[in-house]
Amino acid sequence: MEPILNIENLTKVYGNTQSQTTALNGMTFQVMPGEFLGIMGSSGSGKSTLLNCIATVIQPSGGSISVQGKSLAKLGGKELAAYRGKTVGYLFQNFELLDNLTARENILLPTTLHEVSEKESRQRLKQLADYLEIADVLDKFPTQMSGGQRQRVATARALILHPRLILADEPTGALDSKNAKNLMEKLSGLNEEEQATILMVTHDSNVASFCKRILFIQDGVIFHELRRGEESQRDFYERILQVMAQLGGGSSNVL
Amino acid sequence: MFSDLILRNSKRSRKENGLFFSSLVISIVAFYLILSLSKQDVMMFLQKMESDAVNKLLLLVPVFYVLTLGILFFLIYFACKYQLQRRRHEFGVYLMMGMRRGTLFSLLMAEDLISSLLALVIGIPVAVLLSEIISLVTAKTVGMGIIGHRFSLSGSALVFTIVGFLGIKLAAFSILSSKICRQEIGGLLGDEPEVTKKQKPQSVYILSFFGGLALLAAAYTMAIGGTAWQIPGMMFVTELCGFFGTLLLFYGMRILIQFFAKMGTGKLRVFNIRQLEENVIHQSTTMAISSLLILAALCCFGAGVGIVGTNAQNDDHVLDYTFDSYDDIPSEEVLPTVQTMLEEQNLAEQFSDLLPMRIGHIRTTDAYEGVFQMDSVMDAIAALPNSYEQDVLLNNLSYTDKPYLIMQSDYNKLLELAGKPTLDLAPNEAGVYISADFINTERTKILNQIFSTHPEAQLDGAQIFLTGELQTTNLVTDRSITLSFALILPDEQFRYYTQGKYNVYVNGVLNHETVNEIGLMNAISQVNNRLDGANLDGKGISYESYLQNMGRSLFYMVAAGYITIYLAIIFLVVANTILGVQFLMSQRKSGRRYKTLVRLGADYAVLRKSGRNQVQWFMGLPIAVAAFSSLLGVKAIVKGALAGRVGGPQNAIMLVSAAMILLLLVVEYIYITLVKRSSDRYLLTLMQPQREE
Repeated sequence: MEPILNIENLTKVYGNTQSQTTALNGMTFQVMPGEFLGIMGSSGSGKSTLLNCIATVIQPSGGSISVQGKSLAKLGGKELAAYRGKTVGYLFQNFELLDNLTARENILLPTTLHEVSEKESRQRLKQLADYLEIADVLDKFPTQMSGGQRQRVATARALILHPRLILADEPTGALDSKNAKNLMEKLSGLNEEEQATILMVTHDSNVASFCKRILFIQDGVIFHELRRGEESQRDFYERILQVMAQLGGGSSNVL
Repeated sequence: MFSDLILRNSKRSRKENGLFFSSLVISIVAFYLILSLSKQDVMMFLQKMESDAVNKLLLLVPVFYVLTLGILFFLIYFACKYQLQRRRHEFGVYLMMGMRRGTLFSLLMAEDLISSLLALVIGIPVAVLLSEIISLVTAKTVGMGIIGHRFSLSGSALVFTIVGFLGIKLAAFSILSSKICRQEIGGLLGDEPEVTKKQKPQSVYILSFFGGLALLAAAYTMAIGGTAWQIPGMMFVTELCGFFGTLLLFYGMRILIQFFAKMGTGKLRVFNIRQLEENVIHQSTTMAISSLLILAALCCFGAGVGIVGTNAQNDDHVLDYTFDSYDDIPSEEVLPTVQTMLEEQNLAEQFSDLLPMRIGHIRTTDAYEGVFQMDSVMDAIAALPNSYEQDVLLNNLSYTDKPYLIMQSDYNKLLELAGKPTLDLAPNEAGVYISADFINTERTKILNQIFSTHPEAQLDGAQIFLTGELQTTNLVTDRSITLSFALILPDEQFRYYTQGKYNVYVNGVLNHETVNEIGLMNAISQVNNRLDGANLDGKGISYESYLQNMGRSLFYMVAAGYITIYLAIIFLVVANTILGVQFLMSQRKSGRRYKTLVRLGADYAVLRKSGRNQVQWFMGLPIAVAAFSSLLGVKAIVKGALAGRVGGPQNAIMLVSAAMILLLLVVEYIYITLVKRSSDRYLLTLMQPQREE
């Protein structure tokens, strides 16, 4: 099976020649279709940089990123916009809903941007709204919703165009534990039922335990990898905690 | 280090807010123009002869100056407020790092001072140049020639411009700076709390929208119907209706936009409409006031153009001088007396023509009523289909019982000089003279048609026939001497009916060569100087020159034109700057939304188009409302301010509205393009990803 995302020797250096910060230091990994991959690491480990590189929000300094066999460096203008909108769906920590648009208008925004037929998008909207339990808030504005509802609306928006890859940047960062659990259940449900490929950055072990595979990052390189076998989510969570303890928020290596 | 910071911040403010900065420059130019009015060639010239009127106008200048100061203060206060709001975080950081509040205050004031000084450095030379050009152009058009022009830098205008501008700028900015400086650091560092406006029930907005429309309709009915101009106090009521009508209309306009939002399709259409809706909801009052300012500007401009245009139109200049005599000189002695006087003063060769104009009363009878009757003419008018013009004619011509008489040979000489066909009269025929002020094209047409049938009339019992075209050429230079109805009689008949007792006015035309050489105005003032020194009173002669007369109408033209157009510019600049700055600020506030759109796959072209669409609508709505109102406003102006001045109302409306539309198109095109460019530039910066933590 072809990997959906292929990252090879990716580097990213911030700053000028005098004061350089290496955020990514030669990272290589692959994501297969239908995978639910978590990326964990402490603050400053490079996980957000990695996600932003994949989302083409920032340009890598070296190495290559290919999605479905196509190198992102070669995309330009229209293709790039299409890639951002259609190939990947992005879930933000702060939801990033436009607060002057209703939920329905927010969700349908990508379809108008990428000129998808109205009938098709309405069908998809109904399906997503039912699944994510947001049908009754579709005509409300973000300020009139709870945090959980907002993130589920944002999820619907990320999924409306059937993206090949969902990028989630700390999607539960601004949610309470109950809403966070609910969202993760929905996401892993999508992964199971629709074989949606999800790449999620988080530093919450609880949230990470919903993933099938976890990459631990430190100082811009992959430090460890966990795969969830047949074990229960609870056991997987324990294993994550052990690795996290080793990482110790980066302090174990300092001490 | 501190001064570096000031310079850099100040430069950044100007760059980010180029629109506001250029409006400041324009306002400096406007200040100087109004203040230097007294130094304009035409005004200096008029001051010699119409000193009362000119001085009254110049007394008004400070009033306009203060009025403009007030308007600009609000503009500056408002625009600077947004500018400072955006930098709250930066100020918080300064304070966190231990900058004292006093230092922060002086930092802000110094930044602002640099921008103000730069605006002055750019604005003053432009203003001086522009005022020179205006001075030259008006002087040239009224025939003063360039010879009389001297470069004039008005010192007091300069001082007041600088003092006034810096004064309001510093006042506005110091209020704002001290407000910012007094806030808590935490308040500055944190995000501004989003003020969500409470939504009222839908019906409130619907009611407000239609209530606004109704009030506006009422206001225009009163203005166009004439009620507003006739009954004292009604003007105020009309203006109140218009003002609150516009406020309510914009307050309720969200209904209209929501309606559009429901039918939204196309790329970012929904987003654009929602953005617009938000702006309309948050800034309905600003939009309404901007719309009113634009309307006021258009009306001022329209009225100004109307006054200038109509005054210029009826200028039918043939005669340069009229000499009048006191009663003790016998009629036939007047012309020789004037000729001798001119020769004594060595002025004879200055005049190419001297022609007497003999005007008298009917003295063959002592009766006052029924001396002259033209029933056939009145019947012919009465037989026409009913119209306003017919009514006026019937009314005016019912007071022609004992008309003035004019001598045919004198009048024909005048016609020759004016280059018009002369009047041929048989002994039993008469021409009809009515001064241009009492007649218009429509009425002239009616009368000419009737005269072409040679209608019969009775003059002191004798039968005469009215013939020829209706005559309107001015008999003397003084435009305020007019005749509402007079008969032109062949010389012999004239002498008979006046019994040899008549008034003689001696008209003079200046030598064309001299006029071409030094300009009409200069030629007349030279002759005036000599005449004033010639003790004319003692000789029983008085004179009136075209200049005094021209001066009067020129004065009204220049004064009204100058002031209305000045106000129009100020209003337009203020309204557009408010709208433009308002839009750009709210666009920056929603910068995050645009970033999200980029993430969702909107490319620069899509964002740019969206921004441009929003500019168009946001600025277009108030402009459209103002433009629509101004169409009705033209009617109101023609009805009220220009009533009685205008030859044909159709003409005036065409002229005035054409001028308004042209002005609106040009100014709005410039402003909208400027705002669009700023929007483009801002959106482009959002395309470059930034690391956010």
